[in-house]
Amino acid sequence: MKNAWILLPVLVPAVTGAALAAASFREHLAGGNTGPGDQKGFVPENTRGLHALVGTVLALSALVAVGGAWLWGGSLTLFPLVDGIPLYFQIDDVGRLFVTVVSLVWLAAAVYAFSYMEKEGDQKRFFGFYLLVYAILVGQEFAGNLLTMYLFYELMTLASVPLVLHSGTREAVMAALKYLFYSLCGAYLGLFGIYTLSRFCDTLAFQPGGSLNPVLAQGNRGLLLAAMFATVLGFGAKAGMLPLHGWLPTAHPQAPSPASAVLSGVIVKSGVLAILRAVYYVAGPDLIRGSWVQEAWMILALATVFMGSLLAFREPVLKKRLAYSTVSQVSYILFGLALLAPTAMEGALLHVVFHAVVKCALFLSAGVLLSKWGITRVEELAGLGKKQPLLVWSYTLASLALIGIPPASGFVSKWYLAQGALESQTGVFRYLGPAVLLVSAFLTAGYLLPVTVKAFFPGESRIPERFGERVDMRMLAPLAVLALLAVLMGLFPGPVLELTGRIAALAAGR
Amino acid sequence: MKPGIMLIVVLLPILGGGLLPLLPFRSRRQLTVYTECVVLLNSLLTVAMLLYRPGEAFVLFRYTGNLSLSFRLDGLGSVFTAILALLWPLATLYAFEYMEGERHERIFFMFYTITFGVTLGIALAEDIVTMYCFYEMLTLVTLPLIMHTLTREAVLASRTYLYYALGGAAFAFMGMIFILTYGTTPNFVPGGVLDPARVGEKGDLLLLAYVMCFLGFSVKAAMWPFSAWLPKAGVAPTPVTALLHAVAVVKAGAFTLMRVTYYSFGTGFLRGTWAQTLLFVPVIFTIVYGCSRALKETHIKRRMAWSTVSNLSYILFGVVLMTPLGLVGALSHMIFHAVMKICSFFCAGAVIHQTGREYIYQLDGFGRKMPKVFLCFTVSALALMGVPGLCGFVSKWNLAKAAFEQGSPLALGGAAALLVSALLTAIYMLTIVIRAFFPGRDFDYGTLKGIRDPGWRMLLPLTLFVVAMFIFGLFSGPVVEALEAIAAPMP
Repeated sequence: MKNAWILLPVLVPAVTGAALAAASFREHLAGGNTGPGDQKGFVPENTRGLHALVGTVLALSALVAVGGAWLWGGSLTLFPLVDGIPLYFQIDDVGRLFVTVVSLVWLAAAVYAFSYMEKEGDQKRFFGFYLLVYAILVGQEFAGNLLTMYLFYELMTLASVPLVLHSGTREAVMAALKYLFYSLCGAYLGLFGIYTLSRFCDTLAFQPGGSLNPVLAQGNRGLLLAAMFATVLGFGAKAGMLPLHGWLPTAHPQAPSPASAVLSGVIVKSGVLAILRAVYYVAGPDLIRGSWVQEAWMILALATVFMGSLLAFREPVLKKRLAYSTVSQVSYILFGLALLAPTAMEGALLHVVFHAVVKCALFLSAGVLLSKWGITRVEELAGLGKKQPLLVWSYTLASLALIGIPPASGFVSKWYLAQGALESQTGVFRYLGPAVLLVSAFLTAGYLLPVTVKAFFPGESRIPERFGERVDMRMLAPLAVLALLAVLMGLFPGPVLELTGRIAALAAGR
Repeated sequence: MKPGIMLIVVLLPILGGGLLPLLPFRSRRQLTVYTECVVLLNSLLTVAMLLYRPGEAFVLFRYTGNLSLSFRLDGLGSVFTAILALLWPLATLYAFEYMEGERHERIFFMFYTITFGVTLGIALAEDIVTMYCFYEMLTLVTLPLIMHTLTREAVLASRTYLYYALGGAAFAFMGMIFILTYGTTPNFVPGGVLDPARVGEKGDLLLLAYVMCFLGFSVKAAMWPFSAWLPKAGVAPTPVTALLHAVAVVKAGAFTLMRVTYYSFGTGFLRGTWAQTLLFVPVIFTIVYGCSRALKETHIKRRMAWSTVSNLSYILFGVVLMTPLGLVGALSHMIFHAVMKICSFFCAGAVIHQTGREYIYQLDGFGRKMPKVFLCFTVSALALMGVPGLCGFVSKWNLAKAAFEQGSPLALGGAAALLVSALLTAIYMLTIVIRAFFPGRDFDYGTLKGIRDPGWRMLLPLTLFVVAMFIFGLFSGPVVEALEAIAAPMP
């Protein structure tokens, strides 16, 4: 079997993860009355061993996944899944981009989690599913046709549920159910689109520009457009787009912070990836260009951008605020994709990368506050900046990047998004789009920067002694690295730009 | 192989079961060994028959003219026969453990075994008269099984069942008369047997007859508005609900509908008529209705029963599409749903048998106490909701494909209903799973003391079903090809 290496970064973490989850389950069986919170007989040596195992597996898998994607590439066909459509992997530039981002964020959050999860307990289950979700995401990114991608998409929903309900409280379980049902609702809408596309396209395999068969499609435009709308709406659920966004602000803050970081940083992007693949690589952007689907999509995306920012602005609880921010920021990406023009698509892809790094950093810092000092609300951290400069500076740098202040990275992506909107031929959206993005940027500053201000300028209030306690470097280092990266990528966007430019020219060029 | 084998596989369980109360068993063990031997032997014979197919028909006797009682094994019949032959021994094995300690075991196993033969009779019937005879017989032999516990509830449920089934059969009978009058032969012929010369101007009358016939047979397939008997019949012991009310009886209903639609009236005659349009409505409605009722239901077996109602209408949806692809979709769901639903029912039964708890809100934390059962249940839940890689996805894909190929607005609406139903399925199945595995941090496991997985006789069938769900899901190619070959002669 040629290119069998593609299976490695999928199978190895999946098997390890499943083994860990099974081990945790066995402990539960034996444990009788012990709840998930208090693990008996979980000696520190074991914890270290577990971390070493998880770290090694993850690092090796990431190395193979990223290295292989860039150096070897290729495609791999396994057995037919249904209707002669095979389980098929193919590595292209989009896959390379996404897998690099996912691996980076996943590694950083893992290092952080080694320290963070010591307090949460039941690490085997957490890291088991953590590895499992990574494996599935790699599978989704390497998928070469829509059906394979859908398979991994659905598996990812199921496997990430235990991450959300990890704490086992009633709210967490309810949040997880909400997450599950919204996601499945979206997945089935998407499946409707996939059915339709499988009928009217030459192949479900990904090709830049799509493979819609004009002969078959003739006379069925109404159906196809409805199907595309269902696809966008459905996969948009995972990306937190209106009207199926309701789960995100509930579920993301409930998960342990490293899990929220990856949920908000990269798992939402799998919804983006699914839409990107269906629209640009199977149906082709020409199908919906200028149609009501494009307009509805742009309206929904812009409304989400605005609404998310506004809700974040009004939200006092930090993790929830960040979750609303994700709702808003991911719809920047979706708006960029909805414009169906190369520059805007480039902006969208750039924002995929930058938002992943930034949002991960932000959630990790919120996690530090939560686990170290029990801070959930913004006003409680007055004066923290004096005692923990590294933490607050990392947070601030990431914030600046997200707001889009030059030269930090968010500026680059937003520039491309705005320019793409202005260049596009979408009537009123040419101006409306950039205007909403601008307003949202102000709101972003409005909800992110008060944390910094509060931390550095506490005013009259006394700074609590405990702010001086040392924070574990395993938490701070990944945070700092990500924050630094968020700025550096803005200063030197060359390599990323080259890749995104290549993708956009191929997929969205006319 | 000689055609006589068909009579043997039908009669062996009927006689073997009928003898059960007369034989002098000294212990329960002897009873179980005898029953399993009869069933297993019959299954082996059936499988042998499927492998070495008897080419000709077997005529038991002729009433008059072309009316006869006769058997023939064709493609469609083989599918149903295979399902029955593979599931019956496993369900019987499960029943041994489940029925332990129940009263009137002999009577139970007598009727349970007889039903096997009768259902095979439906599958192997060569003509509509034979099929009708066995169809009526099926109603009668399953009645004591529903009544088994003899509680007031059970008696009421069996009465409901009887009225529904007999009423339905009366309607179906009228349809049969029309076939006998206007058809060239009572036998089943791919594409239908209606004689255009005789039909002449009376097309609408025949369509009306078809609609009545469809509604009549759809009672067993629990289509709305005739679905109420199925959840009520959930009072029967679980082996009955699982095998008969998820597979044998209800699928006999779906099977007879395939026969009259594709083999008697013929899709060429029916396609595009008002009859087809009319029948789409209750079928599509039932798909969503069944799921919604399942969602509302807190009794675990009744929830599964409503889920069956919905899933049976998936099959009927394939039938009323009236295309070869529709038949492929219907058949694949008939096979796959059989495996998935029997598995989830058996899990429910295992819980009831081990603990006596019957309501979903009592299942908190069971995942830790009965891990094997609930892992099987989880897989069946994922399969039912159509996760790719498991068998439910394949049949739903085929049904949706058929709907798209047919292309009418109602067919597309049906495809949309499948997706809505998939979502509802996910909700009513996964809430049970989450409840069982994640009861919440402060859940007191002390309340579940002493609860454990059942014995091997229950676990073995469950494991086999789970394996089957994966195999069918990942390597569905050969199955679907075989079904396509069956549907190929359809016009």
